Amino acid sequence: MSATWLARKLTVVAGLAWLVATIVFLALHMVPGDPAELLLSTGGVSPDPASVAELREKLGLERPLFAQYAAFIGGLLRGDLGTSLIDDYPVISEIALRLPRTLELIAAGSVIAILIGVPAGVFAALDRGGAFDRAASAVTALLLAVPVFVLGTLLVLLFAQTLRIMPAGGFVPFAQDPVQHLKLLILPAIAIAKGLAAVLFRMTRAAMLDALANDYVRTARAKGLSPTRVIIVHVLRNALNPVVTVLGLQMGTLLGGTVLVEYVFNWPGMSTPLLRAVEGRDYPMVVGIVLTISVLFLLLNLVVELVHAWLDPRVAHS
Amino acid sequence: MTISRRTMMAAGLAAPFASLPLLSRPASAQRAAGILRYGLSAFPPNLQPWVSTGASAGTVKMLIHRSLVSYGPKGELRGELATSWALDGDGAWVFKLRPGCVFHNGDPVTAEDVKWSIEQIAGEKSTAYMRSQFQSVERIEIPDPGTIRLVTKTPQATLPSWFGNYNTFIVSRKSTPTEWIGAGPFRLVGQERGSSVEIAAFDKFYKPGIPKLKGIKFVVYADENLRFAALQSGDVDMIEYVPWQSMAAVEADPRLKLDSQEGPFMDVLFNGTKPPFNDPRVRRAVAHAVRREDIVKVAFFGRGKPLEGLPIAEGTPWWDKDLAHGWNYDPARAKALLTEAGFGNGFQTTLLATAQFGMHKDTAEIVQQHLAAIGIQCELQLPDWSTRVARGSKGQYDMAIHGVSSDNNDPDGLTVVLDTTLSPSHGRSFRVDAPRTIAALARGRAEFDQAKRVEIYKEMQRAALEEVPLVGLAWRSQGYGMDKGVMGFTNLPGALSNSSGNMLEETYFG
Repeated sequence: MSATWLARKLTVVAGLAWLVATIVFLALHMVPGDPAELLLSTGGVSPDPASVAELREKLGLERPLFAQYAAFIGGLLRGDLGTSLIDDYPVISEIALRLPRTLELIAAGSVIAILIGVPAGVFAALDRGGAFDRAASAVTALLLAVPVFVLGTLLVLLFAQTLRIMPAGGFVPFAQDPVQHLKLLILPAIAIAKGLAAVLFRMTRAAMLDALANDYVRTARAKGLSPTRVIIVHVLRNALNPVVTVLGLQMGTLLGGTVLVEYVFNWPGMSTPLLRAVEGRDYPMVVGIVLTISVLFLLLNLVVELVHAWLDPRVAHS
Repeated sequence: MTISRRTMMAAGLAAPFASLPLLSRPASAQRAAGILRYGLSAFPPNLQPWVSTGASAGTVKMLIHRSLVSYGPKGELRGELATSWALDGDGAWVFKLRPGCVFHNGDPVTAEDVKWSIEQIAGEKSTAYMRSQFQSVERIEIPDPGTIRLVTKTPQATLPSWFGNYNTFIVSRKSTPTEWIGAGPFRLVGQERGSSVEIAAFDKFYKPGIPKLKGIKFVVYADENLRFAALQSGDVDMIEYVPWQSMAAVEADPRLKLDSQEGPFMDVLFNGTKPPFNDPRVRRAVAHAVRREDIVKVAFFGRGKPLEGLPIAEGTPWWDKDLAHGWNYDPARAKALLTEAGFGNGFQTTLLATAQFGMHKDTAEIVQQHLAAIGIQCELQLPDWSTRVARGSKGQYDMAIHGVSSDNNDPDGLTVVLDTTLSPSHGRSFRVDAPRTIAALARGRAEFDQAKRVEIYKEMQRAALEEVPLVGLAWRSQGYGMDKGVMGFTNLPGALSNSSGNMLEETYFG
């Protein structure tokens, strides 16, 4: 692994980001729907055509598509993603406001998933074929089968509407009310964690079983090491390599996967402006958000490759 | 002191129980402080006083801005910045301004501010919702500092109601595009972008004792089920747009109450530029083919009412029992009309709706089934809402399902859906020929005598039943759900339901 390798990877990331931006920009302009008309059509009542024409001119939508694209790419190179057609708010500011909330949700969900999935996988492997292993495997299958919006709705129904011990959803900034902020974070984080915990459980269990069958484990036991030390130092450490890879890749997937969870729990991350922008044909906002998610996904993959190489020097050499 | 392993285990077991007070609902400090927590269905894209940005934004705007008039609990026009209004001998509308009204910056509300606001609405570069109406104002005169006189190009009987619309506010001339200075009972004190808006009582509001609340915190819940869950769990005190499927649950909950009105309606629109729907007999056949009760039952969970005529609300002077059922369910008559029009064997066509809103899709499916029973085979087209709007405006459809509410309860408010000579729009039929209906609307608008207006609008209904510029399907219920301790709020009748946010100035905790 060298600086050249890293530069090559970063060039690929930049190229893919440009491709994503171009495809989304062109695709959005090809589907029917006029942002100006939609913006003035709220409530199902027709806007005055003169007002629509006035707004189209103001928004720069009367320019040829190529001119709009050139302006967009020019802005992109200057780090300017434009402003929302709906409310003139800078796209970059919207992303700066929303992205940390989405990342916080993913981080909280990942922590819960790791705390549940990895230990459960270890215990299931040690209890192979036993009651815990069978029960945990069954629960995992169930968790993977239940759609996230169904689980989310059930959590709201149980904890907010029936028991009334948790808020149904929403958001309060941490600085304003830390306790309420954390309360509002718990249910969506559990919903996010659901799928990831199940995947981590399966991955850890399989990796542990592989590692347990190795000769060095038998040697460690023969040396008289304690069972706990054998498991933690010799088995788990070797088993975690594929688990870390899967975790990294899954976190990338979660960037897109949080849309439903954020919607169900009214968590104002990246999904709300994205959905609103798609519905309202708010071209700059859609391209900006999709581009951000794509770049983060690509960078995350790059980080996973680096971490994998660090954990397993054989990967770096290859 | 040593901590044993057993003590640690006990502490671990006790931790979840010890944290219960944190999890359980805190006492409603906000409620005690006179702050109403209101579940809003959408975050206002902006709070511009004249641009239509939806009814949810309208609710907030109605509270921070004020116009010359507003609507009272029974739907009657009542004075706000104006105390009275009347026609003068020359046919101009004269408004007397209320003395002592001030904007949130402390400046008095003057006739110059009123004039300036109207000029902005009607301006050439304006994107105001009421722009075309106010462009019919020829001159704005200020005979004295407390009077404003509007001279219109043609007689306008409904002009005072234009000021009741929640996109027609009077703001200070010192306003800027980023800071609008209103004269409403509340002032904007903060907003968390995309999540919440907070307003606080304005202590210099011109009505004594109003507003009754200290403030309102609008929390956005875009998902209707979560909005209902927030009400049921006590996260908010009140919500708008109670989902139809949850209305029974609100009524059954001893802590909650429901205030609903039938105002918005569903209808069928036609493309009148090509056969078969350029023939009014075919459109009338469609009108007689659909059993409306099925739509109310399936699409609205029984929360609505069949609409077998034009959307004229029962109880208003314009309503007539026979005319209200002029398009009654009669498949035999529908088939006879098709035969008379030369389509005895039926035909294939398309029905445009949207899958984005369940009520549109469900209504379309039921219409499709009933039309199939008389031989009209419809292919359903269910794109997203944006595409539905674009195709509707361009006339790229045969039939379309639409849902809307008129601006107010006067039949003139139906012009926007009935006058097919207006520019093409997704909300009215595409170039359907309905000359008698449109002529009657114009006569009604120019007539000031109430008895004569009633007769004109009954004539308009008779014409529409024959010309069929649209087919009414169902009134749909629009409900506000609230804690039983929330008092003083009224859901305004009929089409004014969307203007009910105005009533929050009279709302309080009982």
